[in-house]
Amino acid sequence: MRLYEDLRGLQRRLTIIQAVVIGAMVLVTGYFWHLQVLRGRYYRELAENNRLRTVPIPAPRGPLFDRSGRILAENRSSFNVVLTTEHLRHRDESLRHLRQLLDIDVEAVQQRLNTKGPKFRSVVVKADASEGDVATVEARRLERPEMSVEVVPLRSYPLAEAAAHSLGHVGEITDRQMEHAAFEGIEAGTVVGQAGLELEYNRQLMGRDGVRRIVVNSRGVEVAEAEREAPVDGPSAQVSLDIELQQAFEEAMAGEAGSVVVLEPETGEVLAYLSNPAYDPNAFSLGIEPELWAHLNKDPEKPLINRPIQGTYPPGSTFKILNALAALQENVIARNTRFHCPGYLAVYGTVFRCHKEEGHGTLNLERAIALSCNVYFYNVGIRLEIERLSRYAKMMGFAAKSGVDLPHEVSGLFQDPEWKQRALKTRWYPSETVSVSIGQAMSVTPMQMARVAAVVANGGRLVRPHFMRKIGGQPVNTEHPKDLGFKPSVVDAVREAMLTAVREGTGQRAKLLGLAVGGKTGSAQVVTSARLASDKKARKNQPHGWFIFFAPARGGKPAVAGAVLVEHGVAGGQSAAPVVGRALARYHGVPAIGPGMTPPPDTIPSPPQPEAVPVAFVPDDPPTPAAPSPAPPPP
Amino acid sequence: MAIDRRLLHNIDWSMLLTSLLIAGIGVATIVSATMNSRYSGNYVKQLYAIGLGLVALLLTVSIDYRRLVDRAHLLYVPAMAALVAVLLFAPRIAGTKRWFVIAGFQIQPSEFAKLVAVLFVAKVFAESKKDSLGLRDLLWPGVAVGLMAVLIAAEPDLGTAFTLVPMFLAVAFLAGLRMKAILALAAGGLVVGALSWTFALKDYQKQRITSFIDPGADPRGAGYQKIQSEIAVGSGGLAGKGYQKGTQSQLGYLPARWTDFIFSVLAEENGFLGVVVVLGLYMFVLWRSFETAGMARDRVGVFLATAVASLLAFQVVYNVAMVAGLVPVKGLPLPLMSYGGSSVLSSLMAVGLILNVRMRRFVN
Repeated sequence: MRLYEDLRGLQRRLTIIQAVVIGAMVLVTGYFWHLQVLRGRYYRELAENNRLRTVPIPAPRGPLFDRSGRILAENRSSFNVVLTTEHLRHRDESLRHLRQLLDIDVEAVQQRLNTKGPKFRSVVVKADASEGDVATVEARRLERPEMSVEVVPLRSYPLAEAAAHSLGHVGEITDRQMEHAAFEGIEAGTVVGQAGLELEYNRQLMGRDGVRRIVVNSRGVEVAEAEREAPVDGPSAQVSLDIELQQAFEEAMAGEAGSVVVLEPETGEVLAYLSNPAYDPNAFSLGIEPELWAHLNKDPEKPLINRPIQGTYPPGSTFKILNALAALQENVIARNTRFHCPGYLAVYGTVFRCHKEEGHGTLNLERAIALSCNVYFYNVGIRLEIERLSRYAKMMGFAAKSGVDLPHEVSGLFQDPEWKQRALKTRWYPSETVSVSIGQAMSVTPMQMARVAAVVANGGRLVRPHFMRKIGGQPVNTEHPKDLGFKPSVVDAVREAMLTAVREGTGQRAKLLGLAVGGKTGSAQVVTSARLASDKKARKNQPHGWFIFFAPARGGKPAVAGAVLVEHGVAGGQSAAPVVGRALARYHGVPAIGPGMTPPPDTIPSPPQPEAVPVAFVPDDPPTPAAPSPAPPPP
Repeated sequence: MAIDRRLLHNIDWSMLLTSLLIAGIGVATIVSATMNSRYSGNYVKQLYAIGLGLVALLLTVSIDYRRLVDRAHLLYVPAMAALVAVLLFAPRIAGTKRWFVIAGFQIQPSEFAKLVAVLFVAKVFAESKKDSLGLRDLLWPGVAVGLMAVLIAAEPDLGTAFTLVPMFLAVAFLAGLRMKAILALAAGGLVVGALSWTFALKDYQKQRITSFIDPGADPRGAGYQKIQSEIAVGSGGLAGKGYQKGTQSQLGYLPARWTDFIFSVLAEENGFLGVVVVLGLYMFVLWRSFETAGMARDRVGVFLATAVASLLAFQVVYNVAMVAGLVPVKGLPLPLMSYGGSSVLSSLMAVGLILNVRMRRFVN
C-alpha cells in the first residue's frame, strides 16, 4: 500500500492548512463579537443618526391686533417649494431642473445653500408658490425626491404700507443676527422679526417651534415620521394703534414725505404712526428679492428710514411751546406779559428778524404763540438764559431717546454751553441763545415733539411712548407718565394759546367744526437763509413744515396729541396743519373749516355744541371750563 | 452516464443539505435586502439559479473526479478562450467587462474559470512525484494559473483573480513547497504589490485601499461602503434588529447589499447570534471538505478536495472580514449566499466536487 504511506505526509500539511482556516474563522467571529456585542451600542447610535433627522415645525408668530381688535398682522398658509440639501452631489443638476420647471432665481438659492446651518435642512427654492407650481412639483415626487412642497405660516400685513414702520417686518434670521445675544438659540432658517415691533418683541411673539423626527433613506428623502411635537403658537398681542386714525393720517399725508406721530396723551400709547414714503412689509415675508432690496436702499426718499424716530430736524417755531412753558414756570413772564415786535430785535450786536417784516406790534403770550412771533420769544429766551432753556428741553425729552418700543431710535441733539465746550471746544455766545429761543441749534425727532404736545395736552406729564398694550392677555408698558411739576396754570395758559393758534392764528388749517383742536406750527430750515434766497425754487432747499397738536376725546375716541412733519413743506401752517385738519375731520366725521379747507356743503352740521368746547384732557384738571380769553389784539 | 446506486448512497447528505440551507438563508436575506427596491423580484431568480446549480452539482458528481482532473488541461483551453472573449465582446456593465449576456441572463465566465483552475492545479500537483518542491517547480503551473488570473483581473475583477492565489499556494504547500520558497514568495509578493500600486492599479482600486486605511478621509465616496457596512454590522448587536427591519439595509444606506455585502444585512437583522449560526454552517461545510481531503483514496482526491476547500474557505473568510471592515473592499461574492447566478452555480459545483471525491473514497 504505497499509496497510504504517501498520504501520511500529506495529512500533516493538510492539518496545517485546516488549522489556518479554522484560525481565520475564529478570528473573524471574534471580530464580529467585538463589533456587534462590545461596540453594538456605538454603532446603533450611528445607525440612528443615519436614519433620523430632526426637522423643526415653524410656530406661527403671534398675530397683532389694533386697540379695537382689528387685525394688523396675521399668518396665512403658504406653499414653499423646498430642496433638501443633504446630498449636494447633484445640487447643480437639481437646480437646473428646477429652473426649467419653475421660475426661480438660481443664484439666490445657491447663496442660501451656502449659508451655514445644520447638515440636514430644507432650503426654500420658491416661496409662496402658486397652485400650478405645487402641482408641478408633486407630480415629480418620485423622480425628484429632493424637491418637496411644505406648508408654512406666512406673515401678512393687511395694512401693507400704512403700518410698515411701526409693525416692521419679518424674514429669515441673518448670519449677523445669529451671532447676536438677542437671537441666541434660534436656528438658521427661522423667521424672526427684522424691524419695528416684530423685532422689538421678537422673542415674545415667536412661540415655540415644534419638532418632527423623521426617518430618511440614504438619499435624504423622508420615508416616515417617527415622532412629532406640535408647535406652540406665538401669543396674540394688542397694539395701541387705531387703524381708523392711522388710515386717516395715511390718506391725509398721501404723496408727502414726512412723519406722523399721534399719542394718547394720558398714557403715551401710539395711536397713529406714519413714515412716508413707506414700503410693503409683505414683500419681506417672502424673502425679499435682491432687486427690491437694492431699490429700497437706493431710493433718494429713503423709504426704509423710520422717520418719526430716526429723522432729526430743527423744531423751529414749535420750540416756542417749550420756551413758553419754561418761562411761565420760572416766572420769567406771566401769561399777560407783553413785548413789542417791530419786526426785528437788535441785540448782542446782531439784528434778529421776525418772519413778519412790518412787525406784530405789542402782543401778549397767547397772541405770540397764535401768530408765532419770533421777537416775543427772543425776549423770553434772553431772559430765561440758555441754562434754563437747556434744562427744560432735556426735562421734556430732548437729546434723549423717548424709549418708544421700537428699535434703532435716535436721540437728536441740543446745543448748549456744556455741549459746545465738549464737542467744539468753544465758548457759548449770548447771541446763540437768541437762536435757541425759536428752535434753532438743535435737532429733534417727530416722536420727541409728539411728547411735548402730550405734555401740554395732559397737564404737564411726560409720557414714554409705546405701542404694545398686551401680549398673550398680559398688560405690558403699564408705567405711569412722569409728572414734570408744572403749575396747572402754566400748562393751561399754553394750551389755550395753542387753541387760539388754530382758531385764529397760524394753525387755522387744522380747524374743525365742533372739535377744539390746539396746535403750533413751525418750519425747520434746511439750508441757510442766504442759500434759500439764491435758489428759492429747489424743493430740496425748502424748509420742513411742522405742526404739533392736540384734540380732545370725542364720541368714544381717545384724546390725541401728536406731531406732523412734512418734509420740504415750507411752512407748517401750509403743509402740516392741513394734514391734521383733514385726518381728524375724517376720523371724527366733522368738517374741516379752516381757510382753504373746503368741506362738502351738505356736511356742515349745526354750530358747535357747547359741550365740545371745554378742553378736558386731564381728569384731575380743575373742572372750571377754561374759557378762551384772547387778549385784545395789539393795534 | 448513470450513477451507481452505491455511489448515491455514499453522498455526504449532511454537507449537501447544509450547503442548501446556507443558500436558503441567502434567499431569505435577498428577500429582505431587496424588498424596498425595484430588485424585489431577485430572490426568484436566485431560486432558479439554485435549482440550476443542483443540476450542475449532479452533473459534477456523476463524472468521476479522476476523469475531470485528468482532462483539466482540456478544460483550461475553453476557459481561457471564454475569458479572452469576455474581454473582447462583453458589454461594459458598471464599468467592467465581466459578463456575457445571453437571452437576458448574465453569465460570468470567471466564476467557472475558477473551478477549471482548481482542477488544473490539483492535476499538476497530484502528478508531481517529488517529496519537496522549490520555486522552480511552481514556475509552469504558476504561469498557467497566473495567466488566468491576469485575464480575470483585466476585466477588471480583482476579487476573483485574487482568490486564485491562496488556493494555488495552499495546494503547492500541500505538495511539499519548502519553507524557503514560501518566504521567497512572500517577499516577491510584496515587491509585486509595490510595483502594481505604482504602475498597474487603477485609481478606484487604489482608492479602495486608501479608504480602507482611512475611511474618514472621504466618507461619502470610497470609504462610504466600509463605514456603512460596519455600522450595519455593529448596530445589529447581539440579537439583531429583526428580519426585514434593518435600518441600514432597508433605507438603502448599504450599497451592494444583496450581492457582495449580503452578510452585512444578515448581521444587521439577525445580530451576532445569526452571524454565529451562519458562520457555523460554513465551518461545517469547510470541515467536511477538509475531512474529505483527508479520507480521499488517492493523491488526486486529496489535492482536488484541498484545492476546492481552500478556494471556498478563502472566499468565505475574506468576504465576511470585508463586511466587518477588517480588509479592503473587493468585489468578491459570498459563496452560496450572495445574489448572482454564476456565483451560485460555481459554488454548488464546488460542493459537488467535494461530494464527488468523498463518495468515491471506497470505490476502485
